[in-house]
Amino acid sequence: MFFDKYGKKEDGAIRFYDLHSMKTKILAVTIFIMCILIMIVTLFPVVWSFLASFRTIKDFNNNPAIIPEKFNFKLFASTWKELKFSRNYMNSLIVVIGSVISAIIFNGILAYSLSIIKPKGHKVVLGLVMWSLLIPPMTSMVALFVNINKLHLTQSYIPLWLMLGANAFYVILFKQFFENLPKELIEAAKLDGAGYMQTFIKIIVPLSKSIVMVIVIFSINAAWSDFLMPYLVLNGSGKETVMVRLFSFQGSNATAVEVLRAVVFSIIPPILLFFIFSKQITEGAATGALKG
Amino acid sequence: MGKISKKNLFQKKDLIGWAIMLPSIILFAFFVWEPILESVNLSLHTAKGFRIEEFVGFDNYKQLFQYPVFLQALKNTFVYIFWSLILGFFTPMILAIIITETVHLKSIFKIGIYLPNIVPGLATVIMWKYMFGEGRTGVINILLSQLGIEPQVWLNNTMLTIPLIVLILTWKGAGATTLIYMASISNIDPALYEAATIDGAGIIKRVKHIIFPSLMPLAKTMLILQIISVFQILYEPLVLKQGGPNNASISMMMLVWNYANREFNYPMASATSVVICVILIILSAIYFKLTKSKED
Repeated sequence: MFFDKYGKKEDGAIRFYDLHSMKTKILAVTIFIMCILIMIVTLFPVVWSFLASFRTIKDFNNNPAIIPEKFNFKLFASTWKELKFSRNYMNSLIVVIGSVISAIIFNGILAYSLSIIKPKGHKVVLGLVMWSLLIPPMTSMVALFVNINKLHLTQSYIPLWLMLGANAFYVILFKQFFENLPKELIEAAKLDGAGYMQTFIKIIVPLSKSIVMVIVIFSINAAWSDFLMPYLVLNGSGKETVMVRLFSFQGSNATAVEVLRAVVFSIIPPILLFFIFSKQITEGAATGALKG
Repeated sequence: MGKISKKNLFQKKDLIGWAIMLPSIILFAFFVWEPILESVNLSLHTAKGFRIEEFVGFDNYKQLFQYPVFLQALKNTFVYIFWSLILGFFTPMILAIIITETVHLKSIFKIGIYLPNIVPGLATVIMWKYMFGEGRTGVINILLSQLGIEPQVWLNNTMLTIPLIVLILTWKGAGATTLIYMASISNIDPALYEAATIDGAGIIKRVKHIIFPSLMPLAKTMLILQIISVFQILYEPLVLKQGGPNNASISMMMLVWNYANREFNYPMASATSVVICVILIILSAIYFKLTKSKED
């Protein structure tokens, strides 16, 4: 029965003993219906984009309806070929892999030093990292681009790879995780004569699989979705990522359905990633920000 | 006190610590900290393309403050903040309370509410562009026509452009905040509800007197983070209406974009960045004060 499960309800203002009254039962059903409506609003734009992509532009313009009459996968294939999207996918993949590696290594090591070694004066670095959480790097993107230009690093993947290695949010996530590791293990390693680097590789890294996983997922998504910096650095180089291509494509004279197909291509990888790791992602999102 | 004691104070541990984090610090310096200083430097000069030419003091700022589009963008920022308080601040709280109170499909609702968060920003905006399309083919107009309502012009209505953009931002961002609030509600001790029930408090009273107060410290933080995020609004006005109609939706970041990518005027773009940074530093100082008083 619908109400049986409320006996095991753990949180929230409605308690199991409230369910004796008819009024609360109606409220519980209303809340469930509201949740369904919320889901419809949340998922509708994404679902609609997929559905509309199956239509030809003639059909799209002349026959305003939500659900297409037939599901024509050939249209996807032809837009994919016409756009040479494979190449953009490859480029994005290269950016993502490099970014993820540098996100893990550089942020992880900085957090290790800030949380475990704590050299004299580390608080200054920590303070600067915290401030960069509040002044988003995006605001000084132009100056950064000018600097990248001075170093002749435009039209190269290198700045994009390294940029995610300086992410204040990831440093904080790593730092909180390291601080909660059992101190005895680190002390024991010290007594065994292990150096700081050895302790990191042999003790900390094996214990940190869960946080590394969270950062990997977040940084895959961040690198895939980023548009501004890839556009400034890579536009016109032949190394355009999916997002850069999507931007120039939607501004061209492409038809609505073609643009929507490009949108679908660009959101399939993150959505797949999300469905595979939905548990880690939703938990990471809740706990990370709670403590940060 | 001399050189020797100073040397002793700085031990091997400190040296290794700094050596280990040096590469990361260099990255932070290059990608995050130095660009802020470079923005200030650039904004005080004129430049031809990427080459700095001469020092002009605050001339760029003077020019900026007299530029009607800048004043419009500054004004719009406050309109954005206003609407993001109306739409964006309460939505996650309400969503969190509603989803917490169900027991069926809860984990699916949690996943679903977060889904828009992982849709890339640019793709989100393009999708919503068609949602709010004008004429018969706009998706919301199609839905409204089922109810017999005439097609609306949506984003072309200057009164609606900013609220609709904030609606899109809320659609994308609310899920993350909702999950944070839900985690916080889960941490409330059930004994509190039971005590309230004995005192005769109904469900609405429990939400009002137990759940809401427990969310307030977090909400303060979320509020300032949300205001900070308003200063980063770029994709929405850029893709939807190029900041229009008539600059009605132009944001500060969009102005930076226009200076940099249309006029290739990097000093003016930097001056605008610096103005954004100064506003953000002031807001952050307020934020630190608020979170400090929370801890006390």
